[in-house]
Amino acid sequence: MIKVIKAGLQTTVQDRGRIGFYEIGMPPSGAMDQYSYTVANLLVGNAPHAAALEITYLGPELEFGSDTRISLTGGYLPPKINGQAVPMWETLEVKAGDVLSFDFVKSGARVYLAVEGGIDVPVIMNSRSTYTLIGIGGFQGRPLAAGDIVHTADMKEKDVPVGSKIADTDIPVFSKSHEIRVIVGLCSYRLTDESKATFLHTEWTVTPEANRIGYRHRGERLQFVEREQPFGAGSNPSNVTDLGYPIGSIQVPDGVEPIVLLHDAVTGGGYATIATVISTDLNRMGQIKTNDKVRFVAVSLEEALQARRETQAKLSRIAASL
Amino acid sequence: MSTMKTLYEYGGDEFIFVQLSEEMSLESNFTGMAITRKLKERQIDGILDICPSNASYMIRFNPDIVDPAALMDELKEMERTTDPFDVTISSRLVDVPVLFEDPWTHEALMRFRDRHQDPEATDLQYSARINGYDNTEDFIAAITSAPFLVSMIGFVPGLPWCFQMVQREKQIEVPKYVRPRTFTPERAFGFGGAFSVIYPVQGAGGYQLYGIAPAPIYQKEQTLPDFKDSMVFPQQGDIFRYRSINRDEYDDIRKQVENGTFTYQKKDFTFTPKEVLADLETFSENVMRRLYHD
Amino acid sequence: MSEKKVILSPLPGVFYRKPSPDQPDYVQEGDMVKSGDIVGLIEVMKNFYEVKVEEDGVIDRFSVENETIVDVDQELVVLR
Repeated sequence: MIKVIKAGLQTTVQDRGRIGFYEIGMPPSGAMDQYSYTVANLLVGNAPHAAALEITYLGPELEFGSDTRISLTGGYLPPKINGQAVPMWETLEVKAGDVLSFDFVKSGARVYLAVEGGIDVPVIMNSRSTYTLIGIGGFQGRPLAAGDIVHTADMKEKDVPVGSKIADTDIPVFSKSHEIRVIVGLCSYRLTDESKATFLHTEWTVTPEANRIGYRHRGERLQFVEREQPFGAGSNPSNVTDLGYPIGSIQVPDGVEPIVLLHDAVTGGGYATIATVISTDLNRMGQIKTNDKVRFVAVSLEEALQARRETQAKLSRIAASL
Repeated sequence: MSTMKTLYEYGGDEFIFVQLSEEMSLESNFTGMAITRKLKERQIDGILDICPSNASYMIRFNPDIVDPAALMDELKEMERTTDPFDVTISSRLVDVPVLFEDPWTHEALMRFRDRHQDPEATDLQYSARINGYDNTEDFIAAITSAPFLVSMIGFVPGLPWCFQMVQREKQIEVPKYVRPRTFTPERAFGFGGAFSVIYPVQGAGGYQLYGIAPAPIYQKEQTLPDFKDSMVFPQQGDIFRYRSINRDEYDDIRKQVENGTFTYQKKDFTFTPKEVLADLETFSENVMRRLYHD
Repeated sequence: MSEKKVILSPLPGVFYRKPSPDQPDYVQEGDMVKSGDIVGLIEVMKNFYEVKVEEDGVIDRFSVENETIVDVDQELVVLR
């Protein structure tokens, strides 16, 4: 078991997500950076869908109730056990009574803490992920709070020796400016050609409104093609007849501040979607923080699939090496 | 079959978005319903989500299992070979009680008059006026006299977008608030664009508010019989009839909800879009008879 | 004059000097503060993080104004 001494800014239980419930309006939730989450599980020998803790911006303080193995991956919030610095991206050993804490974030935004066996919370609709908006999944449907006691499950599949690491080249580096690959499309026909170009050329700044629901970006104003609004679409030029929003889709309400919708997003609504972040770069999106710079780079479906295959190959290689 | 210009688009490497038309219509919704229901029956490996929407639909797939281009071709082929109006749709008719002009949504809408088009009127008075009704009673009668098709579920879990099954010239259309409210009561009944909704949970919202439903459409605890299999009651393709109730009935239903005995009055029902589109008034009469008398 | 100490922002977000818009500032320049006293808030992701003093001292100056967007490790307050 793990005792929460301090909760951090937002520490939630997440896994691969609650997939397959779009039609009832349920977003997938799940780890924002699936790459780091997957590696964290691999480093402690867990089943790939074991639940981990997602730690955001400001780390918690956690006390372990028994001897176990843990791993920390994702953005760099320098971790410490009993005040002593410990490495990330490595199988670590903790003893009963050990306290894990973190320094201020140095790079990235989210850390994944995997514990041998995985986090034990009830499975709701095939997932242990927390969806805080309606309070389901994870630990009582909410982020962890001081005083909580979190139990571990028995989803360990393999014994990974303490000190196991992954290759340095497989550890992502998160700077403060990011290139995020997108496939332009969906309702991009609503933007003027000039604004389509502006969308791709602008260096956007991530605002403080950046969370698991979506990231809002400040930059240039975008213009929509003038038209008489179709019946049912609503009066603003950025409105369309309410439609489904893919995870990673980008909308620009009223032409200001593009929003990238993420894992806890609303599943549909009446704003024109203009592009979608490719699945591989959603991981990086989850490591972007307020004030970071973002450029959206248009790629083809083939390039998106190639990036996906490369990430999968990397994960298979890591799994085989441990 | 259809003359609408359909748009097929990739949403990243995991989604296909199909826009059947830019404007909302029963025809577009039925087309999406026919294709997505057929697709569901095929149980294609690698499809993760089939999400019918108002005048569009969305598919999430695993590109490691199903080739995106092949899937898109298949969807196009389905559009070519499906007569969406000849498909039999199995649906439910549901009586949905609503207390119009209730104290809770009234309190909420009065708090946000500065965000509304007409701060001097209530949402109901404003909506009645801009839709050409002399008074709010006539406007409420228009909402309750013909059924609504649940055309899409989403935004948040369980929220039903409902489109009234009447001729275009009779359709109600209202703008959303100028700036969204930060508060809407749970179960509020609202209208925005050409759609009515019931808010499943308390939260922000921009739709005009007319009343409140006593019965939930979303229940996390799943204690009520209608929620035994899902936290969410509405299903796309359901037909809702909003019935205006008084405060006594509201309180009575609330009591039933609280003691766990409430069930929606509902009937299974099948129809073809063709018969609906041929004569909306007769269809509406059939719905009322089947729901309340058969 | 004793050594100056600075309080850095642990988070990126919006810095507020008061608990809510219609309330007074937590502290003013020249105020004596004790360890654990709140001097401001950082809002990010609709969460509010309380910025606290870690050692007793006197507020020398604020390095940023109310409602400024700040970055991690940015200097917020100087104590003396």
